[in-house]
This record gives sequence, C-alpha cells and structure tokens, in this order.
Amino acid sequence: MDNLVLTTCPFCGCGCGLYLESANGMIVGSYPSGNHPVSKGALCVKGWNAYEFINKLDRLKVPLVKSNGGFKEVGWEEALATVSKRLLEIKEKYGADALGFLSSAKATNEENFLMMKLARAVFNTNNVDHCARLCHASTVAGLAATFGSGAMTNSINEFEDADLFLVTGSDTTEQHPLIGSRIINAVNDRGAGLIVIDPRKIELAKYATFYLAQNNGTDVAWINGMVNVIIKEGLHDREYIEKRTENFEQLKKVVEQYTPEYVEKIAGIGRNLLIQAARLYAKSKKAMIVYSMGITQHTTGVDNVKSLANLAMLTGHVGFASTGVNPLRGQNNVQGACDVGALPNVFSGYQKVADEAARVKFEKIWKVKNLPPKPGLTVTEIFNKALEGKLKGLYIMGENPVISDPDSTHVRKALKKLEFLAVNEIFLSDTAQYADVILPAASFAEKDGTFTNTERRVERIRQAIEPVGQARTDWEILCEIATRCGYKEMEYDHPSKIMDEIAELTPIYGGISYDRLDPFGLQWPCPSKDHPGTVYLHKDKFAKGKATFMPCVYKAADELPDDEYTFVLSTGRVYWHWHTGTMTRRTSTLDREVPAGYVEINPKDAEKLNIQKGDRVKISSRRGQIETQVLVTEKVKEGSVFVPFHFREAAANVLTNPAVDPVAKIPEYKVCAVKIEKI
Amino acid sequence: MKVWLLKKDNVKALCASASGRWETYVPIESFAGDVQFMRLNNEKKELFLDKLKLDYESLVVPPKVIAFPQLESLFKFQDEKIIETVKPSVKRLLFGLRACDVKAILFMDDFFKRNFEDIYYLNRSTDKLLVIVGCKHPQENCFCTSTKTGPFLETGFDLQLVDTPNRYVVEVGSKKGEEFVSSYRKFFDEASKDDVECSRIAKHDAEEAVSLRLDFEKAIKRLCENEPPRQMYEKIAERCIYCGGCLYVCPTCSCFNVFDDVKASSGARYRNWDACVFRGYTREASGHNPRFEKWILTSRRYEHKLKYDYLTTGMSGCVGCGRCLSSCPVNIGISQVIEEVSKE
Repeated sequence: MDNLVLTTCPFCGCGCGLYLESANGMIVGSYPSGNHPVSKGALCVKGWNAYEFINKLDRLKVPLVKSNGGFKEVGWEEALATVSKRLLEIKEKYGADALGFLSSAKATNEENFLMMKLARAVFNTNNVDHCARLCHASTVAGLAATFGSGAMTNSINEFEDADLFLVTGSDTTEQHPLIGSRIINAVNDRGAGLIVIDPRKIELAKYATFYLAQNNGTDVAWINGMVNVIIKEGLHDREYIEKRTENFEQLKKVVEQYTPEYVEKIAGIGRNLLIQAARLYAKSKKAMIVYSMGITQHTTGVDNVKSLANLAMLTGHVGFASTGVNPLRGQNNVQGACDVGALPNVFSGYQKVADEAARVKFEKIWKVKNLPPKPGLTVTEIFNKALEGKLKGLYIMGENPVISDPDSTHVRKALKKLEFLAVNEIFLSDTAQYADVILPAASFAEKDGTFTNTERRVERIRQAIEPVGQARTDWEILCEIATRCGYKEMEYDHPSKIMDEIAELTPIYGGISYDRLDPFGLQWPCPSKDHPGTVYLHKDKFAKGKATFMPCVYKAADELPDDEYTFVLSTGRVYWHWHTGTMTRRTSTLDREVPAGYVEINPKDAEKLNIQKGDRVKISSRRGQIETQVLVTEKVKEGSVFVPFHFREAAANVLTNPAVDPVAKIPEYKVCAVKIEKI
Repeated sequence: MKVWLLKKDNVKALCASASGRWETYVPIESFAGDVQFMRLNNEKKELFLDKLKLDYESLVVPPKVIAFPQLESLFKFQDEKIIETVKPSVKRLLFGLRACDVKAILFMDDFFKRNFEDIYYLNRSTDKLLVIVGCKHPQENCFCTSTKTGPFLETGFDLQLVDTPNRYVVEVGSKKGEEFVSSYRKFFDEASKDDVECSRIAKHDAEEAVSLRLDFEKAIKRLCENEPPRQMYEKIAERCIYCGGCLYVCPTCSCFNVFDDVKASSGARYRNWDACVFRGYTREASGHNPRFEKWILTSRRYEHKLKYDYLTTGMSGCVGCGRCLSSCPVNIGISQVIEEVSKE
C-alpha cells in the first residue's frame, strides 16, 4: 500500500473508522481500522466499498451555469460572483427571508457551521435547515423537551453490555450494520433479551424474545399500553421517578385508558404479547431503547419520541451505562449538522435564536448587528414558501430533495418557481438539474473536517487526495461567497480554525479542538479543554435538571387507506444503498446487488391482486404514481407495502404524504395510502 | 541451511538500504495503532521507518493487497483506442511477513498463473523477496499450528527471522535469500550454536502460544467425503450480515469483479475485490440466480477454501490467519466451521 489516511466512513451514523488508500491521486481502497472503537476491524459492505464513487468520471469538476436549458462550463470567478450577486439582489429586492439555505448532513461540522453563519451573519435570515428535518427532527424536539438534550443518550460499545434491547422503528442490521451486529452478538452469544416492535418483520425479528407487529402509525398507543401495564403491575421505579423526574401523576392519568385490550384494537398487538414485553422491559436492569425513522417520521413523531422517553424514565432506564433512549442517527453527520446549528431555530449547541443573550454572544464574535430573533423556515416550509412565490432564492449544499423529500412533484414545482437556485454537489443530482449555478464540491476523501456520529463522537475526516478537477471544498466555497458579499469574518486557512470558533461559541463543543481529536475523537458534551468527553448522558442529573414526563394521546396517521387507496405505504432504505443513490448506485458491487427499485407486498395481497414476484405494478397515491417490480414477502403485513426510496426511476417520494408533525415539521414518510395495479 | 544474526538495531538501516534497490514493503504502525503493510517511500524513509512495527499482533488487511489491490485499472480507452495501464514488473522486498501470509502469497502466486497468466497480478508478484518475521504473540483468533502454516515455515521463504532477545536469528531459505544477505553483509553477523539454540526455543515458545487448536485434516477429510453440512451453513447464513469482510480480508481470496467507468467515448476498465457471499456474484442476465439461497452462498465460501482448493491443489485455501473472525461484525470465523465439522 502506498498512502493510507485514517478517516471516517461517509455513509451512516455509526461513524466507523476507515483507511482510504490512494495512488496517483486516485482512491484505490477502503479498509477498516482495527483499533477504532466502532469499527474494531470490521465494516459493513458500504464502508468496504466506499472507495469507488469518489473516482467516477461523472464527478462534477467544473462550475456550471444554466444556459439555454442546459449547462455551460464557467470559471470559478464567474460562478461565485453570480451566486453572491444573485443572492444579494434577492435579499435587496424581497428581504432576507426570501432566501433559504439548505445545509447538509453529509458535509462536515465546519461546513454546516459556515452555512448557518452565511445565512445568519451574512444574509440576516434564520431560513437555514437540512435533512435532519426529515429524519430526527422529532428526536431533537422530543428528547430536548423531556430530558433536556436531543441526542442519543448512550454509546455504541455499551450495546455490548446491555441485558435487553427494545428496538422499534429501526431496521438496525440494514441501516446501522455495526450496531445491528452488536445486538445480534448480544442476543446469540450471551442471551441478552430483545423486543422488536415494527410493522415490518425485519431481520432482527428472528432473534427477538418478543416480536410485536403494530399497525403503522400507532406507536403512541402501544407505548402508552406498556406504560399502563408497568404502572398497573407496580413495576415502575418509584424512587427514580421521585428523585429524578416530574409530572408522573399526569402520565398516570393519561395512560389509564390504554389498557392492553384498548391498545390491541388500535395497534393490532395481542394483549398478552404487550403485557409480556412490558414486563420484560421493566424488569431488565440494563435495558436500551433503540429507535429510528419508524418512530420519528410521523405526524406524531414528537409524541412518539416523548412516549418512549416516558417509558424509559418510568423504569429508571436513563442515566446509566447500557440503558437509555437511543435514536440512531441516519446520516454520517446528521448529529453534527444539528449540533452546529444548521437548524432554523437554534445556533450551534442548540442555543435558541430567540434568546437575546445567545444572539448577543454570536453578534460579538461574528462582528455583526441585529441577528434575527425569529426562528426561520424548515426544509418542508421552504418548499411550500417557494411554491407560494414568497421564497425566491435557495442555496443547497449537498442535498437532493427532489428524491429525498416527500411529494417530489411538489418539490420539483417549487424548485422551478425559484428565481435563483445554487447547488454545491459532487454529482449532477436530480436537484442540481434545477440549479442556475452548480458549484463542484470536494468529496469526503478530498478534505479535512469532522463528522459527529450517532453516539456524539466528534471525529476527524482527513484529506486523502486533492479535490478532483477544479472541485473545491464546501467550506472554501462558503467562505468565498461570504467574502464576495462583503463580509470579512469568514476567512480561514484550515477547518481546524473553524472548529476553534465552534468551540468558542458552543458550550457542548467547548473543549474540542483538532489537537485533541486524534485518533478517534471525543464525545460531547465536552465543555472544557481538560474534559474527557461524555460516554453517556444524564448521569446523576438530567441535562434539564429533573426530567419531565410528557404523556401524549394517540392520534391516527394523517392519511389512512380507504376504498380507493387501499394499502398503507411505508418507505425506507435497503442495506446496499444510501439515500438517493448518488454514491451507492455508482458503486459496482452495491448497485449490482440491488440494481432497481421494488415494492414489498404480502403473499396474500399478491394473490388477491393476481401478481407474482417480478411483475411490474403501478403504485399511485393522491400525489403521483410510479411503476416498479414486485417482491412478494412475508416481511410486510397484509394491507401494507414497502418501497425503498433510493431509486430515481421509481421514486417512492413521488407518493409520500407531505403532512408534517406540528412541532418538528417532519413529514409522515411511514404512512400514506396507495393503490396497486398490475401493469 | 545457513543461519545468520541480525541485530535489532540494524533492521531499520537494512530496510533503508535495501529500499534503494528494491521496492520495499514493511509493516508500519499508524498513529491510531493499526499496522499496515506499506511501501517504503524513498523520500520519507526515516520518518516511515520510525513507525516500523515488526512484532505486530494483527494486520487487518492481508499483504495480498500489494499484488492484488482492492481497485485497479486494467486499461483505459479513448474512442477506438485502448491504452494499456499494466505496470512493468519491479523487484519487491516484502519484509516482516508472517508465516501464514507467506503461505497465502505462494498460494495466490500459483492461482494467478494456474489457468492463464494474470499479468496484472504477476507483474506485481513475480520478482520478489519474502522475508518472514515469525509470530511471537499469536492473536487469539489464529490457528496456524493446525493448518501447518506457522508460526514458522520450513520452506517457501527467502529469509526467516526468529525473534530472540536483542536480535533476530536469520534463516536462509533460498538462493535469492543468500544473495540478499551477501549484498547487505555488513548488517548481518555470524550466528553461533547458542544463537541457533535460542531460536529453537523461541520457535517452540511461539508454537506453544498458539492457543486455538483444531483438527484441520479431519475437517477437510470429512468435507471431501460427506454431503455439505447444510444445517451448519444455514446457521451461519442466518447470522451473516453480508459485509463481505471475511472474503476481503482473506489472504487467499482472489475473486474480482470487472466494471467500466465511461464518460462519452472514453473511460477505463477496472477490477475490484468481489465476494462470493453476494447474490449479485452469480445472478445471471435473465435474473435467474443459481445460488440464491443464503446457505448456498455461505457454503460456497467454506467448501471452496477447505474442499475445492484442497482437491485441486493439495493445499487448503485456509492458512489459519484468523482474519475472517477478527473482521466479522457478528463473530463468524472459518475456525468455527472447522471445529464443527471435525467434532465427533
């Protein structure tokens, strides 16, 4: 091997340590780090194949501007001047809030910090958000409200000591393979218990002590049901509740009606199964709740998260090793992008824009006046406003909402309506097609920076090769734009300097600097230079002091099947692909394994519709239709279908419902009504 | 067999000196404590050699990567023209290999010329000098004494270093090895009878330290004679998460896929490591897959290593390095298969 650089995997939130090998400016290999605390000599198939997409010939290598319906190559000077000029013009003409900025959970902490600094300090708007809105916005809101911190409470290696896992709405082996593997090992090799609650019979279900298949979108009901059983049987931790929580009486009152019989009617979970699962969770000493999009991507996403928090508090399962409420963050840096404030309501470290003291602090360091106090627009609202004609200019860094956001026809219309769209990208994505200016960005292999994984580990990515062609790093591009807009406080010679600024402004990152991040990073909160980082949260005391029970009442999903649209559609990912497929569909091994989209359908439904494996069907919802092939499987329940959202030619999000959670504004990707017709 | 001494203090100087004439590869410890077989860069020689780590416990990536990279270009094309990218053969010194890995290299060398000569591999592998530094602290997952591939070899190496206190006892295994010592004679000293005795004890101790003992021959015999143990394969297949890691890190896995990267009328053809546990590995153009069931995917790996390789070459494809287990997220290793098959 010639040159090896230790960096962090660009796919999921596990944050595995991998070495990239380079030769003659090309990446030729990707290997696990044996000592890295997450990877420990292993990687999933995506990590092992992370070398390929970086080299592809169709990487964007030159800035492009729209010209006669196509694109023409231009120099950086012209591209950057156009972006800055157009954004300034729109601000001048329509006001700052006619601009929107979409940051990226695939980009580094430093780049996300600069994107929000660009929006706030340079353009004076809080309209900055990113795809966390579409995955864990409910977590950030729900856990911040109950516990005082919206992050995964515990750590990945603590899975190795847990007695029990309650996994719900997380297809862990497919989506977080190096966490899923720890669950498989714990259950098989040392007899740990496992409760899986998921409408789809996921891989982990076969190892489960109890597998509960709830109806889609009934999570508050079954969680309240478990809380009801635990209180009724006196299995709750009275001392813990007394000492460390508040509002228990309210919880008791709300869950009273959620008897196992009542829950069975709503959620379709057998009463005895619910009781047994509730007992097992309550009686296990070290019990970890593990969840992901199946909980968050609902119009009741925040309620679902709060309910899980209630369940954990009730049994004293928070604040100790190998316990807690553990949202598994999807993107490699979705935790970090939230941490550094690429959200419309907070600066870095979740400091509210509405808080004057926070604004004053940022104004002082950024040398600006009058940072806006009103929270800005979320991703979902940005597209609504664009369609209404109120948002005129959008700057997107490394996101592909045309494929990833709900109701993509709506997104496409919104993008068309914009007066100006600029996109930083590594490939010509479906979203970039709509851009007026495309700025070619460096990939993760071509830059320095940090990602924060799901367990709050701030870890380095390190440059292995020079950016391809004329591509530049996102942080350099953002600085260039800020400078061209006349702002003088966004010049850095290295991302480490940006991290120093983050640390200065962000208490939870206060002790983080590059010299402390070798080799495997630090877990926040890390408030001071001598702080060793935090393995698990809420030890002895919750982040907000006493944790608060926040009981919720079950509400049905926004759109349920009816006579016309008879199936419930749920969307998600498969193990071999990543999100909108821009990287994994360019990776030969991964794309060969699953080369096309499909719909999972239960054998009984297939029989009724007279369709077989491999048949092509039309799936339609009130918003659009796609064609795809059929996969007949017991994995999905009767009446439900599942479509992965990676495939642009059969894009699941043409169908999905853009209805959002009222607080977190997260769309309901997990439930909408569709009909299926054989072609 | 001629025996020499190499003072530990002389090792870096020897490597530095040899790297002038040989493209030299040595085990280097990264700042994160991971050891990798790296090319000694002539410009940064001293800096590199400061990180030399000969008593490493494990090498996640096997040295096969030197001759068989994870990704390599086979040729480029532009319009109608094909541009060869195959590299000319260079003399290579691989210093600090483990015995099991040398066995694997010899196995791969044979494979890549068995049916046809794979020029891409052979140009990187033909002209080389293999220097073993025998294992002193075998890791818990390896079982080379059972596969008879270590911790020291009788033949197959050019030089074999036995780690004794303060110095290495150097065994010469070939004429090339002897010539190498002559060329760098100043770094080597004559060995005494005592030194040879020291090395005998060190070898014995290393052998004793390999704790995992398996009845390898019995397992192979049974696999060759009996029906595949389907239930066992089913159990493994159920647990497997299909990362491909066991095959990627296997020092004798040689499967590759071929793909083109094309833009307009130019591009390149590449090959990259493949793994037979993937369904796409055998799926046919029609969509039909002769090996679709998981247990069949699983069985192929073990049947190939332990049975097919043995029947065709007389040597099993497993060299007992234990990497498959070390790199498996769900703790599956070939050692468990060997144990299961050979048990009463």
